[in-house]
Amino acid sequence: MVYEIMKTKSRIFLESLVITILILIIGFYIGMSIETYRTNKIVTYYKDYEIQALDLKLQNYYFQIMDESSCKQAIEQNFIFADDIYTQGLVLEKYEEANQISDDLFREKKRYVLLKTELWLNSLLLKQKCSNPFDTIVYFYSGDPKNSAQVAQQKILSNVLKTVKEDKGNTVVLLPIAGDLKLKAVDLQMKVYNIKTLPSVLINEKTILEGFHTEDEIKSYLKK
Amino acid sequence: MDILTLVYICLFFFGIFFIVIFLVLHKRYLPLLYENPKIINHPSVSFLVPAYNEQDSLQNTIEALIEIEYPKNKKEIIIINDGSKDNTLKLAKQLEKKYKVIKILDKPNSGKANSLNEAVKIAKGELIAVVDADSYPKKDALINMVGHFEDPNVAAVTSRVLVKNKNNWLGKFQVLDYSIIAWTRKLLDFVDSVYVTNGPLSIYKKDVVKKIGSFDPKNLTEDIEITWHILSEGYTTRMSYNAIVYTTVPEDLKTWIKQRVRWNLGGIQTVNKYWRSMFKKGAFGYFVIPYVSASFILAIIGFLLMIRYLWIKGSYQLIALYYSFQGYDYFKYIEFSISFTLLLFLGLIFFSLAIYYYKTGFKHSETGNKSVLKILAYSFFYRALYVIPLIIALYKLAKGDIRWYTK
Repeated sequence: MVYEIMKTKSRIFLESLVITILILIIGFYIGMSIETYRTNKIVTYYKDYEIQALDLKLQNYYFQIMDESSCKQAIEQNFIFADDIYTQGLVLEKYEEANQISDDLFREKKRYVLLKTELWLNSLLLKQKCSNPFDTIVYFYSGDPKNSAQVAQQKILSNVLKTVKEDKGNTVVLLPIAGDLKLKAVDLQMKVYNIKTLPSVLINEKTILEGFHTEDEIKSYLKK
Repeated sequence: MDILTLVYICLFFFGIFFIVIFLVLHKRYLPLLYENPKIINHPSVSFLVPAYNEQDSLQNTIEALIEIEYPKNKKEIIIINDGSKDNTLKLAKQLEKKYKVIKILDKPNSGKANSLNEAVKIAKGELIAVVDADSYPKKDALINMVGHFEDPNVAAVTSRVLVKNKNNWLGKFQVLDYSIIAWTRKLLDFVDSVYVTNGPLSIYKKDVVKKIGSFDPKNLTEDIEITWHILSEGYTTRMSYNAIVYTTVPEDLKTWIKQRVRWNLGGIQTVNKYWRSMFKKGAFGYFVIPYVSASFILAIIGFLLMIRYLWIKGSYQLIALYYSFQGYDYFKYIEFSISFTLLLFLGLIFFSLAIYYYKTGFKHSETGNKSVLKILAYSFFYRALYVIPLIIALYKLAKGDIRWYTK
């Protein structure tokens, strides 16, 4: 009798364990499905941008052969792509923050940073060819912040730059680039422009602003 | 997957596991909630009422015990005056004159456990019923409890504690809190895991108490310690859900924190004393010790994660405020966004189960059905306060400052 009671009581713990494992499996399945869906969506975005970047590159080859009359069209295409990549970048950053299980995105993120670097170089070419028609703001930030103070500082600076871009519209190309992903092209650019700390803001390839600066300060360095 | 994510998943696993155990117990044993074994023999009962400066409540407690339903020749009441500095002794003497069943044990102040141990020596009853001097058992409490002792293996039976004073917000929250504590304890009864026999009213077999060396005066919660001692000796403890006792609860936060610090310290002391019995000795070793230990560990981990979260969020706000003096438009960028994450989803499952569990508990308690809003207030506000005494207790433990709370 006592043995039977004990058996029933042990079964309650076993039953509860099975139910808990089932709940967690279902929870994991739903959670992972949503995260996988989101990861796939990000990867698709990145791939689309890759095609878009290649398209832009080819357009540039074409515009370089053409005379200065093609500048307007080239700048327009550059802005469309730059704005698109920036706006989507904000969404993707939020997705990445939320992705806690998969590390798959890291490689994709590196490709994304390289695309933005390519866009920057493209903008530089256009600025040279079309007699400096717009401003560029390159925001170098840490993709792997070391402490919460750096996270906070970057978020604040990102907010400020977002407002500058909103105010200035199609006169500014804003390019946030993670500066610590060990990408040689990025490292080279940082060395060329003497960027030593993250976050830093490089305006028109001349002015370096380290740490926090207000919207008005940043705007004061712009030409347009 | 990083370590932090693993910690969260472990936290949710154990949290959900414990709630599921309670829900399964509820589902299976609900019809037995108010069942108590019939009394065949009426063993004699000695009520032990330790009193230290209890002049305001002692009379009502004693009168409640006088009125309690039980054969008169089987009852005795021993008031232990633990060196009170007020009129407790004088009042006890007046009551002794009025009621013949009362005896007084007057001794210098040495704490509740010592007072009880002295009283056990002179108690004549086969059972001893410990009653706090600010608690008031209902008339039928005793007859609802004593039947459990028909099982020779049962060595202690405890009651359901309800709140007497619910005058302010703290009192009202404690009404909910005591309901959930009692509900959980009753569910644990169905798996022989009642691990606290509360101070307001609990009954023990006197020969078992004597055999195990009575109450431990070194422990800050002698009621938890003796229950664990009884369980570790292979006896069973029970709870009667319809044996009700009303008790006076702290009415201000300072007293509440002090009381809970003592509970936490006593709990940790007890775990520390008996952890070697883990995974031995039936339900006690396989469930009670792991469950109570895990509760402490989960509470500490939960607190650390909360601190981490607040640190990350708080430092952003502080830095943003700092920059606002340099021209950053703080209010323009305030945002509230929640991204879906796997952990958030698991957290929601855990939280929904917890709310459902509370709702079920309230439904079967004196509070009756409670709205989700009230349960949310209880969970997010009152339960969040639990962390304060826990941290103070850990701090005191780290400093070795336990004696401060010992009388």
